[in-house]
Amino acid sequence: MSETSFFRRRWVRWATIVVVVVALIVLPLVLPEFANQTIARIGVFAVAVLGLNVVMGYTGQVSLGQIFFVGLGAYITAYGVTHDWNIIVVFILAFVGPAVVGLLIALAAARLGGLAIAMVTIALPIVGVPLAKRLSDVTGGSQGLSAQFSDVPDWMPFTMYDDQWQLYIVILVTAIVFLLTRNLVHGRYGRAFAIVKGNEAVASSMGISPYWYKVIAFTVASLIGGVAGFLYMVVIQYTSPETLSFAHSISLLAAMVIGGAASIVGSLLGGAYYVLVPQLTNIVDPNSTALLQGAILLIVLFVLPGGLVSLPRVLTRLARRRSGDDRGRTPQTTPITEPDPAAVTEGNPTERQGHA
Amino acid sequence: MGTFIQLVVDGLSTGSIYAALALAIVLVNQATGLVNFAQGGMAVLSAYIAWWLTGVGVPLILAILITVVVSFVMGAVIERYLMRRFERGDPDTAVVVTIGLLTLITGLCGWLWTYNNLQFASLFSLNTIQIAGASISVRSLGTIVVIVVMMVLLQALFLGTKLGLALRAVAVNPQSASFSGLPVGRLLMVGWGLAAVLGAVAGALVAPQLSLTPGMMDTALVYALAAVILGGISSPIGVVVAAWLIGVLENLAAVYVPFIGYDLKVAVPFILIFVVLIVRPQGLFGRKSVVRV
Amino acid sequence: MNMRRTTRKAAGIVAMASVLALALAGCSRGGSGDSGDGGAAASSPGITDTTITLGITTPLSGTTAGPGTCTVAGITAYFGAKNADGGVKFGDGKTRKVEIKALDDAYDPQKAKANYDQLKGSVFAMTAGLGTPTNLAWREAAIADKVPQVLVMTGDPTFSDKSKSPWQLGFVPTYMNEGEAFGKLLAASGSDHKVVILSQNDDYGEGYVSGFKAGIEGASNITVVKQLTYEATDTSVDAQITELASTKADVIFNAMSITPLAIAALQKAQQLNWKPSWFLPSNTSSPSAILEPGKASAYPGVYSVSFAQSASSPAFATTDEGAQFLSDLKEYANYKDTPAFPHCVWSYQVGAVLDQAFQKMTSPTRDDFMTALRSISGYTAPFMLDGTSVDTTTGDQPAVSSVVIQKFNGKGYDTVDKIG
Repeated sequence: MSETSFFRRRWVRWATIVVVVVALIVLPLVLPEFANQTIARIGVFAVAVLGLNVVMGYTGQVSLGQIFFVGLGAYITAYGVTHDWNIIVVFILAFVGPAVVGLLIALAAARLGGLAIAMVTIALPIVGVPLAKRLSDVTGGSQGLSAQFSDVPDWMPFTMYDDQWQLYIVILVTAIVFLLTRNLVHGRYGRAFAIVKGNEAVASSMGISPYWYKVIAFTVASLIGGVAGFLYMVVIQYTSPETLSFAHSISLLAAMVIGGAASIVGSLLGGAYYVLVPQLTNIVDPNSTALLQGAILLIVLFVLPGGLVSLPRVLTRLARRRSGDDRGRTPQTTPITEPDPAAVTEGNPTERQGHA
Repeated sequence: MGTFIQLVVDGLSTGSIYAALALAIVLVNQATGLVNFAQGGMAVLSAYIAWWLTGVGVPLILAILITVVVSFVMGAVIERYLMRRFERGDPDTAVVVTIGLLTLITGLCGWLWTYNNLQFASLFSLNTIQIAGASISVRSLGTIVVIVVMMVLLQALFLGTKLGLALRAVAVNPQSASFSGLPVGRLLMVGWGLAAVLGAVAGALVAPQLSLTPGMMDTALVYALAAVILGGISSPIGVVVAAWLIGVLENLAAVYVPFIGYDLKVAVPFILIFVVLIVRPQGLFGRKSVVRV
Repeated sequence: MNMRRTTRKAAGIVAMASVLALALAGCSRGGSGDSGDGGAAASSPGITDTTITLGITTPLSGTTAGPGTCTVAGITAYFGAKNADGGVKFGDGKTRKVEIKALDDAYDPQKAKANYDQLKGSVFAMTAGLGTPTNLAWREAAIADKVPQVLVMTGDPTFSDKSKSPWQLGFVPTYMNEGEAFGKLLAASGSDHKVVILSQNDDYGEGYVSGFKAGIEGASNITVVKQLTYEATDTSVDAQITELASTKADVIFNAMSITPLAIAALQKAQQLNWKPSWFLPSNTSSPSAILEPGKASAYPGVYSVSFAQSASSPAFATTDEGAQFLSDLKEYANYKDTPAFPHCVWSYQVGAVLDQAFQKMTSPTRDDFMTALRSISGYTAPFMLDGTSVDTTTGDQPAVSSVVIQKFNGKGYDTVDKIG
């Protein structure tokens, strides 16, 4: 029983990190252009899903408006770039702006219970689209804004192509955001979020104010959404009111659950799902994309209700069951070393505040 | 003044479209505790089946009746073989499964019947009658009347019948319900089946006006959800009143509040909900739910 | 002891990884995708001696999938028939078959760009896609990559401005063209008119309205008494029609592209006993799909602008070419219904215009193709109405910029040159 599994050993963890870092540096130089562009898009939406996970997966508050913050970040970036502001300033505004908006919304709505938060978040993209059209002086209206600013800069000493440069930017920003968020949710705040998600009355009896932690979670989510919006402009270089449509919010929610709610790795998988499945269904039959996407979603959730991130666990459980019945009698205990994110989502009838 | 009344009457007519879907959402929620994002999609599929039947020569009323029966079976089957697996688990996962179901059904309808706008025969004629100086078509009036009847039946079901009580018991506490001898599985299927029936009727009422396409109910779904939250997820009367309120106030705000105009009138339901939820968190007509800590 | 083993293992992994990295870096990839400057003899991607491949990114699912599917069906039918006859004879002497790769973008600009990225290395040119934001999303990338984005189905004038968009060309008349044509006609009618405007709240509606207003500018007999908008996703425009009806205007300029809303508007106005003359844009004017359910005969006049015959008018199927078109759609494009959207015919015409360009090409490069494409003038594509023709030489207009005004005659359309 002192045998920790292969992946828990310290040196394996360090080795994996080194291999991953080396791969991230080298692969963009080697892969074809389309692969780089696809990976960059995955990065954009992985960040968006990560934001959604913070407020919905970890803290249990329904948010159907994440795409609004992504769109807001994209519009701020496009506006700043077309007005020749310093790119660092643009980047900072791209996440500060949505964070401030998210903060204001959360301050008002968080006191009102789950249903109000849900409705306010639904309102964001639905009112956001006509608003983006109306403020056409700033947003370019229905025609949207094109902003080319992520081409390889002149000071680059060796040859690099635009898609490689864009992918490096995405990798760098995504890695930083993921690491910071990982520290957040594995620390004090993460534990508070989990308690607020589980039972608000218990949280307040422990001195953890559900209100304030919901506000924090929502603000962090909108901040991360803004970052995703900046990356969106880096990669797509065009934004329009369609960027923040309600349908995309629903797709982000689906991607979050399919990747794995309340999971950092799950957010990455969710971003990959969001980008790759439409491309995959297009290759199979462009005339039946909706049918195939719906079928894939249902099949994945049917087999893995905890999301793609629960695949290793499900496989090890199947392997253990097959390898020997005497082993199977020992009760499944969650390992103490790592909090098990999927346990929160699987088979746990959560008392959701506000669901009548 | 004539315009004002006309706008109110138009709003009631549009609101009835949202109300039809909202009633089905209420039923599924009261019977199984889930919010079914695919409710509109299932209604559209039912409408396509009815359309196909009329296309092969079946008279409209008969086609709708056959579709109602088929929809009941479809709803029950979906609950038993798809949703059952997710009902006890994380509510977010269940919602996403319904989203996947919506995508699947929309894609299926598009694949089987293309994305073209198909014409659906109307149960009621398009003749206009005058009420209080405003003109309204018989079709709109008929829709409103049918919605009211459905609302009354649903309210009676929940409050007055053993079946309604059993359905709600199963949703609130499946374990106790099963200990009391209720056939939990069968009741869940009945709940979804009845909701699909409501959806089928809604689809048949609405398709003549919106014209039959796979995405016909997409916009109505959002308004229906708004009506459900505004009216209280436990009250059929509440959601219908809320849906009418949304339809009427949207029109009035668009015309009489120039700042809002027609493009931002969609903000009206949400402002309304926000204001109401501050005062009454359970919605206009909802029951306060007590959650055991 | 444990530490040393661990450190050794770690060092080993790092060493392996570094070697791997250096090896991979050594074989860094060459140029990104297409290199259009590889010398005059090198040909562009997507073209061989026997085939040429065209790419389309267009909505094949979602609310705009109806017209979107048509944009693929028409061109597929055209080249399907041509391929069955042996292929297209190019200006360089070779006969090639035309293949079409179409991808669904669900009217999402992000997916449209992704589709472009996917296709650009394996197609010769991109064409026929529907939607303004979806085409705008990859317009700059197409210019940078020197990939043709031609004969696309959007009335946005940006695509037809050669100085701004050297690799682009719109196909359908700009929204302004259509609105202006009707405005001019109305102004020339001689009598006074009170006009109300109902337009879709996006670039489509805005374009129509700005064109209309340009057409009536200075005309003292025309007054616009009210102007309202609606969203493409609205379930009803009853409130707008009610408000407009109260003005008792005699003309309504309805820049609407949503079929059920157009039908509902026609029905609602009758219910309110308001019978103005009606203007509908070319893509929402189908007799069988819109005018008939909307009971358009009740109005003194329903006008539209068009440059192509409507495939859904009863007379169409009785002509030889019309019947051939419908059967080609069924056979090569798997499109079995009577088209309810004009895009099926338009996409077929796009195929014909591309055919003309292919016949003029003398070398298999994208540069040569663009030159050939921009040299077509006075060409009457199949199903074009008298008085319209294709002219790609202007440098600031789409391939089709001439339209005629048509009036509904109860069954189909007649070309008219004045209101009344």
